[in-house]
Amino acid sequence: MLPTLPRDHLLELCRRMFVIRHFEESLVPLHDKGVFAGHYHLYVGQEATGVPALACLRADDYLFTTHRNHGHLLARGAEPKRLFAEILGRVDGLNKGKGGSFHSVAPSLGFLHSSGVVAGIIPLSTGTAYAAKAQKNGRITVCLFGDGSLEEGAAPEAFNLASLLKLPLLFLCENNGKYGPGRAVAAAQSSSMAAYPLTDLPKAYKIPAQQIDGIDAGVVHATISEAVAKIRRGEGPQFVEAQTVRYPGSETNWPTVPAPTDTALAWDVGSVPEKAREWYRSADPLLVYVRELVEASQATRGEIAAIELQVRTEIAAAVEFAVNSPFPKLEEAERGFFA
Amino acid sequence: MRDLAYFEAKFEALDEIMTADERVHLINGTFLSLSPHRHVYQNLQKKFRERMIAPPISELGFCGLATGAAMAGLRPIVDLSTGSFIYEAWPQVANEAANAFSMSGGQTRVPVVFHLFHGLRGGGAAQHSGSPQAMLWNVPGLEIVIPSSPRDVKGLLKTAVASDNPTIFVDHTRLLDIRGEVPENDKPIPFGVADIKRAGGDVTLIATSYTVQVCLGAAAKLANEGIDVEVVDPRTLVPFDLATILSSVEKTHRVVIADETHQSCGVAAEIAARIAETGFDKLKTRIRRVSTLDVPVPYSPPLEAHIGPTESRIMDAVRAAVA
Amino acid sequence: MAANKDNFKEVIELLRRMWLIRAFEEKVSSLYAERQIVGLLHLGIGQEAVAVGALSLLRNDDYVYGGHRSHGHAIAKGADMNKLMAEIAGRATGYCGGKGGSMHIVAKECGFMTATGVVGGTIPLALGAAFASKERKKGQLAVVFFGDGAGQAGPFHESLNIASLWRLPVVFICENNGYAEFTPLSAHTKIERLAQHAKTYGIPASTVDGNDLFAVRDAMTKAVASCRAGKGPVFIECLTHRMRGHYEGDPAKYRELSQLAEWKKKDPIARVARALKSKKAFTDAQLEAIEMEARALADKATEFSLASPWPSEFDVDSQVYAVT
Repeated sequence: MLPTLPRDHLLELCRRMFVIRHFEESLVPLHDKGVFAGHYHLYVGQEATGVPALACLRADDYLFTTHRNHGHLLARGAEPKRLFAEILGRVDGLNKGKGGSFHSVAPSLGFLHSSGVVAGIIPLSTGTAYAAKAQKNGRITVCLFGDGSLEEGAAPEAFNLASLLKLPLLFLCENNGKYGPGRAVAAAQSSSMAAYPLTDLPKAYKIPAQQIDGIDAGVVHATISEAVAKIRRGEGPQFVEAQTVRYPGSETNWPTVPAPTDTALAWDVGSVPEKAREWYRSADPLLVYVRELVEASQATRGEIAAIELQVRTEIAAAVEFAVNSPFPKLEEAERGFFA
Repeated sequence: MRDLAYFEAKFEALDEIMTADERVHLINGTFLSLSPHRHVYQNLQKKFRERMIAPPISELGFCGLATGAAMAGLRPIVDLSTGSFIYEAWPQVANEAANAFSMSGGQTRVPVVFHLFHGLRGGGAAQHSGSPQAMLWNVPGLEIVIPSSPRDVKGLLKTAVASDNPTIFVDHTRLLDIRGEVPENDKPIPFGVADIKRAGGDVTLIATSYTVQVCLGAAAKLANEGIDVEVVDPRTLVPFDLATILSSVEKTHRVVIADETHQSCGVAAEIAARIAETGFDKLKTRIRRVSTLDVPVPYSPPLEAHIGPTESRIMDAVRAAVA
Repeated sequence: MAANKDNFKEVIELLRRMWLIRAFEEKVSSLYAERQIVGLLHLGIGQEAVAVGALSLLRNDDYVYGGHRSHGHAIAKGADMNKLMAEIAGRATGYCGGKGGSMHIVAKECGFMTATGVVGGTIPLALGAAFASKERKKGQLAVVFFGDGAGQAGPFHESLNIASLWRLPVVFICENNGYAEFTPLSAHTKIERLAQHAKTYGIPASTVDGNDLFAVRDAMTKAVASCRAGKGPVFIECLTHRMRGHYEGDPAKYRELSQLAEWKKKDPIARVARALKSKKAFTDAQLEAIEMEARALADKATEFSLASPWPSEFDVDSQVYAVT
């Protein structure tokens, strides 16, 4: 389903999804060639959650995200070249090279902090929500995290605080733990979380919670819009679990790209290796969105291909920028840790 | 000059701070601990109720809340109460709050104050007697403040709240009733400025927190033995005023460091290392440390009384230094 | 369970154990008022039915973990009152040589593994004992006591999750006395019954009247059977009250509490006595004899403790590290 938005907004969402996709795919060869080191995590397969969800927010809302943050930052409009530079540890990076992939921030876009510790940001999000409520500035906080975070004690502590204090806080849990083809993600209990469905956890604190198909951009947009509206009306915290099917390239310790994305794949996955083919055919949210745009006559295949081409060019230039950006001076290691 | 009890000065500081800046919120509130003075905290509640919250027993959760609120422009003071409870909140303090400014490349400021009562309190046993400041000193990105007098607690608390960095405010329940002079229109005390609590010429005796008071008692007794002790109080561990200490060492040539953190990697260990590295040629005798023994704090009162930096151990160390 | 002609002896024995706890706690309270005991002290007066109702069903080799209010738990598991009192009084003859104190009782010989001063601190430890029990396959189980205040702590939730996932033989017993330290539960959470949290993780849970010895026994009987049969954890929430403040501050008044009429209505000991008397199984004289005997044992423990030496300074660094 497509979001209920004017055509140019729909195409902008499409563009942002392509930005995320091509950004992430470009990281893999950069890493494998040794241009940067350290762990990194791809948002591929979750674009139809992050992009429409973040489009529901105001410019001054707060967001917290985790190690899987590239998609969130880009969905919100961070410059690809600055994010590439940060991941590469260069001085032109978002954090001047001090954070890397795990900790990329963009305070002007509302991202004050990203944590590499599972559930590290969940308590922090209750803080910005508390501050916004105290300062009566109408800002809401969106806490973006994965299903794994719910195993940490920090999560129920935060749910309790959020419900007790009626905080303006949206918990958006991206459950990418579903293995298996098909878009209608059926029930599958995790081997590391006894509670099922996951929405039982926030519900235990009387926080309204729902499970949605994270691959369906329209459902995501409608659900998040409504949740955000409720929070802005002062109804307290909300929880949404958006389910997606894990990207085959994220199944191994180090990311891979089973098949480079191209608009054409939306209609013919013949070129994709067999193991990954089903995912591209039915669970790739970007390709689903592209097909829906065309089927709803909001764009032609050619128009979409043109958008993609522009994005490819932008991403290639961004990579170039990052690779040419210098490393920070050594003295920087001993500076900038106290205000 | 007024003569105030420590708890009065601390309450005055909180009142003035909260009156001056509405961004200051108090999260959890045993600032005056389980002492008979908690009514004074209740007076604060009458004035600032909406800015004081009593969270559930979720140290990790509410320290994270305080940190996040600081990132969003409030200036919270969050109280952990018993110092050992910071271990429940460690990931938020050491891994998030301490790192945020640096790893964001200087973009995200975290003006939060983590308040706690450390040390041997009398019957606290192993889990309620911790002094985590030594471990916290090993986490870059945290300021550490540790007052020992009514004037200091007032002046340092103001600076702690005004600081844009995450600050650990290390207090001690045994200080609450001591009395001291507090000026009428006192000024905030800057960090990184040590205080000579007692001038003397024979030995530089360095201490923090309640141990400063113990050292002052020891110094008075040692004066009767003809030993003139200079008691130096760093007041803040981060930033640390080494210069004042070195000037004192230049004068006395003898150093004893007394502290309630355990000996291994304790506060005294770090201060000793810094003096040895930069002032070695000024010393006429080895540096002596009087720290809490490297044992889990035992419950039994005579054992607990034995393991800390007691007056008699301090006096023995000073005598040995001048012998 | 109810008092009936088949179990009078058993019930009287349970009553006797409840009185042991009551007498012990009241004695400790007066010693604290006299400053013979210092530090932080938390008494379980009024909560005896939970300790005795639950632990009377356990084997010696089952593991019990407590919280800061655990003297009663230790006694109910079979701890020696003399060594327990001596520990609380910080003497060398105490269970931990005076090193632990009230909040850190360990009576390993009877399976009382440890108490704690950290709210919820022993919940993960109980998981470990349950895990080891499962591996050992001797049918052992672990029991952990905590209060309603622990329900808001992260480790509590993590432990429920793990216990459920790994089907560990652990019984979680929550003594919900409505207050976490100084504030009512409602100020800490919107949840009224902690059993709800257990259900979220798929753990069978019940809420019972914690002042009703028989209700506690019944719930525990089912829990123990289930654990020993390998069916995984069970959660029992016992609604009760503590008739004291959170900690001993001014205990002089409390010695008179047992006499107050309203107390007697809720008092778990009085309820069992009434049940026995109503079946004509019991006389006032017998009840008084039980009380006297318990107080005599508490007095004996006091004498023993106060006559015991303090630990020596030379013991301060003994038992910090185990020597192989």
